[in-house]
Amino acid sequence: MANFQKKRSRDVAIPNGSMSDIAFLLLLFFMVSTVFVQEKKFWVERDRWPIAESIERIPRNHTTTIYVMRDETILIDDIPTRIESSEDVFVSSTLIRKKADDPELVVCFRTDRDTKYGVMSDVMRQLQTAETLVVAFETQQRHN
Amino acid sequence: MKIGRKRKSKAEIPTSSMSDIAFLLIVFFMATTKFDVKEGIRIVLPQASEEGAEQTQTLTLTENEMTRLQITEDGRIAVNNDAPRAFESGELDALIQQKVRINQQMIFKVITDREATYNEMIRVVDRLKAAKIEKISLSTN
Repeated sequence: MANFQKKRSRDVAIPNGSMSDIAFLLLLFFMVSTVFVQEKKFWVERDRWPIAESIERIPRNHTTTIYVMRDETILIDDIPTRIESSEDVFVSSTLIRKKADDPELVVCFRTDRDTKYGVMSDVMRQLQTAETLVVAFETQQRHN
Repeated sequence: MKIGRKRKSKAEIPTSSMSDIAFLLIVFFMATTKFDVKEGIRIVLPQASEEGAEQTQTLTLTENEMTRLQITEDGRIAVNNDAPRAFESGELDALIQQKVRINQQMIFKVITDREATYNEMIRVVDRLKAAKIEKISLSTN
């Protein structure tokens, strides 16, 4: 007579010994990949930007920011400058260099909403000279 | 009298809750991470025309092809050859729609006075962008 042995039921368990290792790896990844963007001291406060409705989201990579203050001071690469005449080519020469580094460069303007348009026009002319033609005017979202 | 030898207890750091702590930290980082994108109105500028360039063409456009929106120093808007007047956003939308009905491919030329504020230019360009106008030209006088 055959002897039927009763099978022992095994305990099924998911091994979770390495769970903390995985979690810490993820944690390290987040900590290493997080970039804290430090805004410049010399900047145009967000509440001074114009308000618009039809705004687009512009990814931060490939962008450079030009700050234009109400007193017509321009800040590019942390260097304040002014455009007094057509011979002031600091903005265009800086952008030519940046464009050479990144051909997909997008110039973002953070301009005080009460700035006179004349200075913006001068800056945009220099952008055209530097062939950096894609620009974005940063605005606040209008909340209805 | 029998003196029992003290058993040495093993010193261990409890690690069973380590993964809970790590996951809590991950959740914190995931919840607080903000992907920083910029928001604004995107415009592609035309290429600078070189003085005396041979390939520069002069085009004469009629009012059915191009609408001039001239922003004055005080923020009023002159449409084509009309006298400047103050436009509310709703009025501006209606005007743009009216022009687009005349010509779907209407070009809007925004001429902003050098003394006008940047805000006025953005206000007009915003209404044009809201009306899905693609052909926008920016200039000054």
